[in-house]
Amino acid sequence: MQTKRKKAKKSVPAATTVVVMRLYIAGSAPNSARAIANLESICKRYLKSNYELEIVDVFEEPQRALAEGVLVTPSLTKLSPIPASKVVGNLSDENAVLLALGLKGKKK
Amino acid sequence: MIRTPPRADADPASVDAMQAFQDLIRRLVKDASELRAIEAGEVDAIMDPVSGKAILLPTAQAGLRESEARLRSLLALNSDGDWEQDEHYCFTSYTHAAIGITPIFDGEDIVGKTLWALPFNNMSKADWRAHRNRLEHRATFRDLELRYVDRAGEAHEISVSGEPVFDVRGKFAGYRGVMQDITARRHAKQLPKSGHTVANNLLAALPSEHYQRLLAGLEPVTLTYGEVLYEPGQRIGHVYFPEDSFVSLLTQVEVNHSLEVGLVGREGMVGIPLALGADISTNRALVQGTGTAMRMEATRFSQEFLQSVPLQRELYRFIHVRMAQVAQTAACNHFHRVEARLARWLLMTRDRTSSNDLYLTQEFLADMLGVRRAGVTVAAKSLQKRKLIRYRRGHINILNRRGLEAAACVCYQIIKKMRF
Repeated sequence: MQTKRKKAKKSVPAATTVVVMRLYIAGSAPNSARAIANLESICKRYLKSNYELEIVDVFEEPQRALAEGVLVTPSLTKLSPIPASKVVGNLSDENAVLLALGLKGKKK
Repeated sequence: MIRTPPRADADPASVDAMQAFQDLIRRLVKDASELRAIEAGEVDAIMDPVSGKAILLPTAQAGLRESEARLRSLLALNSDGDWEQDEHYCFTSYTHAAIGITPIFDGEDIVGKTLWALPFNNMSKADWRAHRNRLEHRATFRDLELRYVDRAGEAHEISVSGEPVFDVRGKFAGYRGVMQDITARRHAKQLPKSGHTVANNLLAALPSEHYQRLLAGLEPVTLTYGEVLYEPGQRIGHVYFPEDSFVSLLTQVEVNHSLEVGLVGREGMVGIPLALGADISTNRALVQGTGTAMRMEATRFSQEFLQSVPLQRELYRFIHVRMAQVAQTAACNHFHRVEARLARWLLMTRDRTSSNDLYLTQEFLADMLGVRRAGVTVAAKSLQKRKLIRYRRGHINILNRRGLEAAACVCYQIIKKMRF
């Protein structure tokens, strides 16, 4: 775990790069709550304060989800740095999240 | 292919609903990773472009219901009810267990009301201000103790705890919490132990067999600062024999003007009209000093009073003193300066609390002395200048008792001789 983390840190492009994300959730439904917790944990360990996260509740702002082409929730979209990417589900698959956020190379 | 929670009791309607969802998903979701997430049970909702709304999947619905039920059952374990309030602190929902807080909350619909709009009698305006200030800072509050009297005249005490609720974006959405009826617990705590000494002088003066007889109908209670025992014109429910508490009797002149006409502590009883054959209070009886008292139900007291000559004698003596005290106070209020009256009042209060630290707001002192608040400020400042008291934000500290006695009008000594 420790070595993994070090590796991941090294592969972060630059310490000052701010990752901008948007997480779509459905109120306090179980997977949504889990997704927030999982993402918070990942951000804390890999990004420290170098990230911006916006959480969109699709029950409150369904038009935003529709306009932004989001079909299922929870889902996480990385907006910056490009290329944009997306992860669907409760974000319990940390590898998939790190890959999508560009915090990890394709190979493990 | 879509995983649904196994349900042994699935009725045809829910099977139909499930089928409808699966059709919807098949129609809308084409992306492989999204389908995989749905199959893995990691999705809560999908967007329906037709209605423009998000639709919660059955699994998520079940999960939400379950967590809600779990929370409620957990809360029910150590509370009598739980509640929710909106962002304006108005109740939006309230549940209660079979026992517990029924009387006022059942008779009255509390939904849409704030806590401070309910008829609790132990909170002053300043107390509520302090509480609301905490809420404005979104603080969690624990064990806020509130008292009320139900329609049957029974006193109740509840303890309320709450925490702020925020929506997913961190916006304040209201408060939620629990309530507990602590009346029984309070009373159990106050039950006199064997060998309990009689702390009320009037009761202590009775011959043993008369006291024992009375004791069967007496119940120990805690009186809290600011609590109103009677309002003018109200039927008297109980008589009170203060122990270390003391009660102020106020005569109301107009809605906002009242004047103290008597102070009853361990030397007497509150509820004198009953001993004189009237069951309506002419005064407002306001608890001044938190402490214990023994109380008796009014009808029971009337019966006991008729049967016990020693009780009659003690009460008539007390009434005589009270009348003299009222007359003296009336004269005092007319002839003596505010400063001397304030000194007298502080000394009288000190005699009953046996403490040099008093907690009294200006508004309250103004009512006690029948003057305006500004008058109280000037008098208190003058006493402070003479280093007799220290006055800071409702806290009065008596620094020099002898000096204060000298500053008080003669009425203090006259009333003191009457009482003790």
